[in-house]
Amino acid sequence: MADPVLEVHDLKVTFRTENGSVPAVDGIDFAVAPGQTLAIVGESGSGKSVSSSAVIGLLPSNADVSGEVLLDGRELNGLPNDELRKIRGNDIAMVFQDALSALNPYYSVGWQVAEAYRLHHDVSKKVARRRAVEMLDKVGIPDAARRADSYPHEFSGGMRQRVVIAMALVNDPRVLIADEPTTALDVTVQAQIMRLLDDVQDEFGTALILISHDLGVVAEVADDVLVMYAGRAAERGTVRDLFFRAAHPYSLGLLGAMPRVDVPPKPRLTTIPGTPPGPGSITTGCPFQPRCAYTHLVGERCVTERPELTPRPGEGDHEAACHLGRRPEVIL
Amino acid sequence: MSEELLNLKDVKKYFGLRGVPWQKAQAVRAVDGVNLVVRKGETIGLVGESGSGKSTLARVATRLLDPTQGRVEIGGKDVTRVKGRRLRPIRRRIQMVFQDPQASLNPRQSVATILSTPFRAQGLRPTRAQLVELLEQVGLAEEHLVRYPHEFSGGQRQRIGIARALSVKPDLLVCDEPVSALDVSVQAQVLNLLADLRDELGLSYVLVAHDLAVVRQVADRIAVMYLGTIVEEGPAAQVYESPAHPYTKALLSAVPVPEPGVTRDRIVLTGDVPTPIDPPSGCPFRTRCYKAEDVCATKRPVLEPVEGSTEHRAACYFPEPPPLERTQ
Repeated sequence: MADPVLEVHDLKVTFRTENGSVPAVDGIDFAVAPGQTLAIVGESGSGKSVSSSAVIGLLPSNADVSGEVLLDGRELNGLPNDELRKIRGNDIAMVFQDALSALNPYYSVGWQVAEAYRLHHDVSKKVARRRAVEMLDKVGIPDAARRADSYPHEFSGGMRQRVVIAMALVNDPRVLIADEPTTALDVTVQAQIMRLLDDVQDEFGTALILISHDLGVVAEVADDVLVMYAGRAAERGTVRDLFFRAAHPYSLGLLGAMPRVDVPPKPRLTTIPGTPPGPGSITTGCPFQPRCAYTHLVGERCVTERPELTPRPGEGDHEAACHLGRRPEVIL
Repeated sequence: MSEELLNLKDVKKYFGLRGVPWQKAQAVRAVDGVNLVVRKGETIGLVGESGSGKSTLARVATRLLDPTQGRVEIGGKDVTRVKGRRLRPIRRRIQMVFQDPQASLNPRQSVATILSTPFRAQGLRPTRAQLVELLEQVGLAEEHLVRYPHEFSGGQRQRIGIARALSVKPDLLVCDEPVSALDVSVQAQVLNLLADLRDELGLSYVLVAHDLAVVRQVADRIAVMYLGTIVEEGPAAQVYESPAHPYTKALLSAVPVPEPGVTRDRIVLTGDVPTPIDPPSGCPFRTRCYKAEDVCATKRPVLEPVEGSTEHRAACYFPEPPPLERTQ
């Protein structure tokens, strides 16, 4: 693998609240290389969005972030805000789930894309606008020169997400973080947007961090996958490691719970009993233990000792955090 | 053939747009001529993209909305014009489960109150044992009766919504996106619960969903909607294995499959769904169709049986050919 453009080591995020401090992310590592796609998978509350926001310093002021965030070897965590602002939107850009709230309803989309460019480039409005139209055209807005003068409400959901992507890409970022970019969209539009992101990566060598709960999307676009559960990494590896050699009972549970469109249905979906733990409610042992179907094979250790990521057989650096040192057999 | 629970006949639902005085008043044609029959024991999946009219159709079927035109028959009786109090006996047979359990449960009512509301609407007083039985049916317990919605997780709230719908022992549940607000692991629990309830109580479902994989998991029959009309309908296996309408084919091909390396022949549709205020002439899908020809703009195609099948129907002038018999 090429040298990573973004590396994160031992990232921890804790929110200070009236009820004491709540850990949201508890020590995760990941890295992504140019042109590669890393998917971060997990359910609500797993800390996947918080981790990515922490990378570019977008968390509210009551969040304490520790750990290393290295962009080309340069430490970002702890940088003053005006330094971070030069990086955000320029070297690292972000696309959110809800395009409507990411756009300002009072300005035309062309103006907004141009503004994103002018923030990081000392150019005239005219040059910026030309660049904005070029970008809108590139993301597949038909008749971009004219549509640049339209306002967000005049676009459909899919077109708005294209505008947001154009805005994110206008400065040729090295890393693009996409947080559930297609969750609000219909499948036919989702297919268009995923194809667009893929083309962009081919053309510009952008590293993509895709945050998603949709394993179908992940299987299709990711090179590497990080599975998060309750603020920790449950498993990481290449996309084939995860889908063909899942080593963590949680990953296996997620795979079994996904209905599939391309094969006749199973009589029953495999389920994971219970619900994910609230933040900070599990302090010792494995956070997945209360829902785990394999914990009886290990015993006490699951409750008392926190499992660390350990190597598993696979293509590359396949690791899982589970005391059951082998691949769990599927229990139905 | 088993008993007809629901029969929609050429149902239309237009929403008026308040126009400006100098313009002609316009209407959004949310549902534009739908025929659909639901029989006892069947699960029908109603799929389509946003704006296809599937939720509006569900609301017309449960008589939460009045149809602009057409007939709604429930249990063989025409209930299109039944209003107010006289709707109540009809509501005993058909109940609805909503998408957002957060929004569809009153935060100031305990679970006991929420579950007894349908009884009271029917002029009945439920016993505690009845309420406990309802909770147990959906995998909750007696202790939950005194709790309030905020004390539950999303999946549990959806279970309460299902229990409420079951309280009057309906024959048919209309579920509008029952799992789309839930996480994958919880979604699977609720889908299994729906299947169990069907087996135990002999329920029928109309399942409205945009997630085609979810629908495949539970439905026997599929109806695909586009711009307010049903473009294809048939047994789930046939529709999924060999879609006849180009729209269904494109829609299915767009769903990503959770298996790396599986490349699907994807038909990427260009453009967006046209506005239901001014739908295209003829076939509503022709503006995005990869097979469209002149004839498609002339007259709207009607649902016709696909070659080699009696139950599988598509509304298309150039349907996909049926699959060759698999020889392996």
